[in-house]
Amino acid sequence: MSEMILSDMEEIKINTDVLVVGGGYTGLKAAKGISDSGYSVVLIESDTIIGGEKNPLSFIGIDVTAQDELKRLVDDVAADDAVNVLMNTRLVSAAGVPGDFTIRLATSDGDLEKKIGAIVVATNFSNKPLSGAYGLSLSDSVLTLSQLEYLLSGSDRDRLSNKTIAFMVGFAQEGDALVMERILSNVLAVESIGGCTTYVFAGNLKVASDGLERAYLESRDKGATYFKLKTMPTISPDGESISFIDPVLRKKMELSPDVIVIEEEILADEMNPLLAAILRIDVGPGGFLQTDNIHRFPVQSNREGIFVIGGTRDVQNIPTALMDVENAVLEINHLLKDGKIVVPKNKAVLDIGKCTFCITCYRLCPHGAIYWDNTNKPVISPVACQGCGICASDCPMDAIQIGNYSDAEIMDKIKSNGSAAPDDLRIVAFCCQNSAYEAGLMADAFQMETPANLQVIKVPCAGKVDLDYIMKAFVEGADGVLVMACHPGNCKSEKGNTYAEWRVVDAHRMLEETGLEKERLGFVTLASNMGIGFSSAVVDLENRLKALGTSPFNK
Amino acid sequence: MIVAERKPFEEIKALVKDFNRVLTVGCGTCVAVCLAGGEKEVGILNTELTIARKVDGNPIELGGVTVERQCDMEFLDELDGMIDQYDALISLACGAGIQFLAERFPDKPVLPGVNTTFIGANRDVGWYEEKCRACGNCCLGLTGGICPVTMCAKSLFNGPCGGTNHESCEISPDQPCAWHMIYERLSKQNRLDSIIEIFPPNDWLNTTPRTIVQPAYKERKAAR
Ligand code: SF4
Ligand code: SF4
Ligand code: SF4
Ligand code: SF4
Repeated sequence: MSEMILSDMEEIKINTDVLVVGGGYTGLKAAKGISDSGYSVVLIESDTIIGGEKNPLSFIGIDVTAQDELKRLVDDVAADDAVNVLMNTRLVSAAGVPGDFTIRLATSDGDLEKKIGAIVVATNFSNKPLSGAYGLSLSDSVLTLSQLEYLLSGSDRDRLSNKTIAFMVGFAQEGDALVMERILSNVLAVESIGGCTTYVFAGNLKVASDGLERAYLESRDKGATYFKLKTMPTISPDGESISFIDPVLRKKMELSPDVIVIEEEILADEMNPLLAAILRIDVGPGGFLQTDNIHRFPVQSNREGIFVIGGTRDVQNIPTALMDVENAVLEINHLLKDGKIVVPKNKAVLDIGKCTFCITCYRLCPHGAIYWDNTNKPVISPVACQGCGICASDCPMDAIQIGNYSDAEIMDKIKSNGSAAPDDLRIVAFCCQNSAYEAGLMADAFQMETPANLQVIKVPCAGKVDLDYIMKAFVEGADGVLVMACHPGNCKSEKGNTYAEWRVVDAHRMLEETGLEKERLGFVTLASNMGIGFSSAVVDLENRLKALGTSPFNK
Repeated sequence: MIVAERKPFEEIKALVKDFNRVLTVGCGTCVAVCLAGGEKEVGILNTELTIARKVDGNPIELGGVTVERQCDMEFLDELDGMIDQYDALISLACGAGIQFLAERFPDKPVLPGVNTTFIGANRDVGWYEEKCRACGNCCLGLTGGICPVTMCAKSLFNGPCGGTNHESCEISPDQPCAWHMIYERLSKQNRLDSIIEIFPPNDWLNTTPRTIVQPAYKERKAAR
């Protein structure tokens, strides 16, 4: 990641217990996997049972292997001394940092405080019946997909033999591959019951996932009839007749099924927003606990030591969820090791003597790496800190310095003017190491055009570009300044590029106030492979500067 | 805490126009916390002034220093010996700090770099809300912890007035009625009785400068 030298490292002791939130399939699986790696686990579940028997099929559907596995898991976890299962228990607060979290749990016997090293969030998604959107109410002959699954897995499965069953999918929602996967596995299961006739009414067929196309063809071979319609068929309120225009025969058709099965919408667990607030992790689209971030491995949250798996982070099927479990176990091994880890000493160093406890750093750190110790002083966790420098840029007392990127080191770079000819226009470009800096190296390697007196200053994140750096660069004789960040949504530290852009806006205002042309300062976003983009951005600025002439500080 | 805002740049520039060597003095407490006058803001103001004066062809020499608190004389001692090199001082502390700085160095022009705005609370980074007008006779015990002097447009101690408009104040639909909020809070706490109680008029002590001596230090003050 960064170029720390080993003498800057220190060994620290950390707590290796792991909290798993959620006693569903993925939670149990993770608890077992983590305990098998030699760590103690506290598994909490808000329900009165683990394994989700109350609503057994919401996640694993009618997958018999998964059902058996779930039963085995429940027993295994119960028998495992290293897994402490707490039912009827909710997470109330979580303070601290990876390797040293203090969590508070509300159990049926009152509150409980525990020290742990890492947290895995394994909530499940829930299924919302869409019968209302079809103008139907649920009854013996109008079932949700979950109800059908329950029936299919139970003993009165034969109740369905010799029945005509119609499935509805893709009219009440856009849907996704997982909804389709569930429909298809149910269609196949129904077809294996004697004498069943199945019809599938589909607004769209989302089969772009492993094996779905095959399942679709197999179900057709076994006799299922699919009607792909542009609009929802007309269903009588009692669900006894369905009328529609057959798009192939172009003729009005009517059908009287014995049972109608209605699709369900997959929603994120309603506990997610609360958990996100407690854990200070980001909420992504749809209330799932992960944002799209290309720099992050699948199960990572924006905070080190807090992992999100399975239905917590996305709508996903069992194989993906199992992969999540494996990844989380790996990440935890990687993080906690044997309780002793080596961390850089100077990633971000806070000078308590200068600090005025404004808590700006605490509020801005995108990785939740800053906490308060029991003397009410802010502390930066060397385990959690990613060295982005966002805190340092906004500290009103300049109390935080980032290793290899201290204010003094950056000021030295701003002041050094290389060996350029005196009349070349001088451009200072602050470049994020994750994108623009790489793009600049590429531009160099391919000998793309760049200004003669371009000075690239590498920063760990564009969020490290302090307002003062931008302004001082002008005082130190820059004719133009560029702040070069990652594209929107691509910042490794989530908001570093946004903060950098805001600061450039602020600096533009200040330049206007001072009378120096604000066109001398630019903000650009790039990807690491955009050598051409880099070259054109710096050349553009140089051309603008040619029109403006040298800065008053160079006259 | 005390919340201040940086003065508009034009105004500061005009204040220092006749000076060529200026020391900007930040304060490391309230104004640092509200991101208006700490070490960072000292640096930024100085850089801005440097650029502006250079552009005008009238360069200025600036120094910067941030003391712990400008409202304590002891913390101003560290400026001794530094002051002589400068023609004037800019203070980024609140009005109290600026005046103490001016009192401590009476020979130097001391110029304000911020507008001291209110006593307030911090919602989020850079976001402050006024909470108290320092009326000198706190009624929060009767008003459910909501200050009518600050929140009510008429600063009524015994409200609401006839202009209360559902949840809003008559001055604007966006301004919540303080007395409506007080009613809601007290009713949730089953303390509506205290809304009936009449709070006596304030004698508006704050029309003359007030001095407070904490009880434990009365003797100490008398002995001086
Ligand atoms: S931002 Fe700076 S002054 Fe504020 S709490 Fe953090 S380290 Fe202290
Ligand atoms: S450098 Fe970045 S990750 Fe580290 S404490 Fe500061 S803001 Fe957080
Ligand atoms: S001078 Fe003003 S801003 Fe500074 S500590 Fe005192 S009251 Fe707060
Ligand atoms: S009543 Fe309001 S203005 Fe008066 S002291 Fe209390 S909070 Fe401050």
